[in-house]
Amino acid sequence: MATQDHIVIEQLDKIFTTGRGERQVQALDRLSLKIPDGHFFSVLGPSGCGKSTLLRIVGGLIEPTAGTVSIGNGSGPREAQRGKEIGFVFQEPGLLPWKTVTGNVETALELNNKANRPIQNTTQEMLELVGLEAFADAYPYQLSGGMQQRVAIARALCFDPRLLLMDEPFGALDAITRQMMRYELLRIWERAQKTVMFVTHSIPEAIVVSDAVAVLSPRPGRLRGVVEIDMPRPRTEEMERSQVFLEYADQLTRLLREGDDHGTSH
Amino acid sequence: MEQATEFVQTPAISASARMRRRLRTFAEVVLPPTIFFGLAITAWQVYVTVKEIPTIIMPKPSEILARLLEDPHYFFIENGMVTFTEALSGFVIGSIAALMLAVFLARSRALERSIFPLAVVIRATPLIVIAPLLIIWFGYSIYPKIIMAALLCFFPVLVNTIIGLRSVSPTSLEFFHSVAASEWEILTRLRAPHALPYVLSAFKTAVTLSVIGAVVAEWSGAGEGLGRLIFWQASLLNQPSVFAAIVVLALMGVALTLMVAWLEKILLFWHESSLVG
Repeated sequence: MATQDHIVIEQLDKIFTTGRGERQVQALDRLSLKIPDGHFFSVLGPSGCGKSTLLRIVGGLIEPTAGTVSIGNGSGPREAQRGKEIGFVFQEPGLLPWKTVTGNVETALELNNKANRPIQNTTQEMLELVGLEAFADAYPYQLSGGMQQRVAIARALCFDPRLLLMDEPFGALDAITRQMMRYELLRIWERAQKTVMFVTHSIPEAIVVSDAVAVLSPRPGRLRGVVEIDMPRPRTEEMERSQVFLEYADQLTRLLREGDDHGTSH
Repeated sequence: MEQATEFVQTPAISASARMRRRLRTFAEVVLPPTIFFGLAITAWQVYVTVKEIPTIIMPKPSEILARLLEDPHYFFIENGMVTFTEALSGFVIGSIAALMLAVFLARSRALERSIFPLAVVIRATPLIVIAPLLIIWFGYSIYPKIIMAALLCFFPVLVNTIIGLRSVSPTSLEFFHSVAASEWEILTRLRAPHALPYVLSAFKTAVTLSVIGAVVAEWSGAGEGLGRLIFWQASLLNQPSVFAAIVVLALMGVALTLMVAWLEKILLFWHESSLVG
């Protein structure tokens, strides 16, 4: 693939110190990754493997103990943050409950008004993109979990960042909504054309959405391997029942279990 | 869009439906306490009359009302307004000072750690005990009353505001950090609106305390006001006047609480607690 790398992660270590500095937990161990520009890239691993930590380091929310992250033309996460180049979607929507859907997106725009985009038009555009134009004046408590998460996506995309970081964005949703949101996200991504770094612990979710999936081991998070998902786009629900899909699922499952002494999943 | 049905839409309420709802609210919310209150007052009146209890022990409600209507200007304006002014000034000054200190303390963990425990201790202390000292320091003027009221309001507002400013949703905070929002943006757009329910809840406590503060400071020494009126008339065993002043104080407390409730209703339309019912 001839595209440039958007994110280059090199030899990343993260050690958390807990309990009055007595206990140390290594969350990430010499992790290196390259994410090409415009790719939908997933990080897959069991709970506690440090995948969220990895995403927070890339997003400039926490500092690594060692190693470097370079975003775009060699700038660090903090610089990318200040350049308003990172849109973050978290597991919880984290919307402002006192603002309407429109107000939430507008707030994000006002905080990030780098190119003086017309706020009203952009907000409307964003709500259309995530399919919520009919709910522009609704308050978060009036929306379902899935709709709130769509607002969170609109909020992260509205200021046109080049990179979208998603930390198990559908983790708190019910299975049916979750399934639907995968395709909804892909539709949005195909229109918005961003590099996406997507953290998940769901194998089918990772395969459906991604161009490539990185598999992490638990405690400490080490890279077990990167699997390129070579399936045509747009992805459809039928593909989830195809032979290729099942082979990828099998391959990822094996990678996840590698080095697991008991040979069982937990 | 299948999720559309999940949206809780407020149905357009027709005029007749609204009328019916008002009647129901009246029957469920207004009527029962009114009946109970009426019964209690009647029982009081009947008991005192039948048992022939002397007025200097317990006056009849009718006597209290007669005294109040005999000279409403004396109770409501000459003395009531004085206490009201003291309480309200104290509430406003104490609350504003508390809000400013809270914003300042919430900026730094170290500062908060050193001052917050002290604030909690002082909040748990019955501060009214210093009222006599305030009279010694500031004399018989209106100032010791305002200071007393302000002090009583200060600590609940301070403690609640700090808790409110601190307890923002971690995800919202992370979002603000992820776009490199400034401390000022986080304060004005996230922490302050989030703290509002906490602040208003403290205001509700504080308005009541402000009246207590003003009255107690008046007991310690004053030329006018309802507290001083009660203290003075009680020494003359003029119970109808004492009770009439208490009625005015109760009305004042209700008025101040309603004022805060009204503020809450306007500001907190989005808050869960205002969504019930």
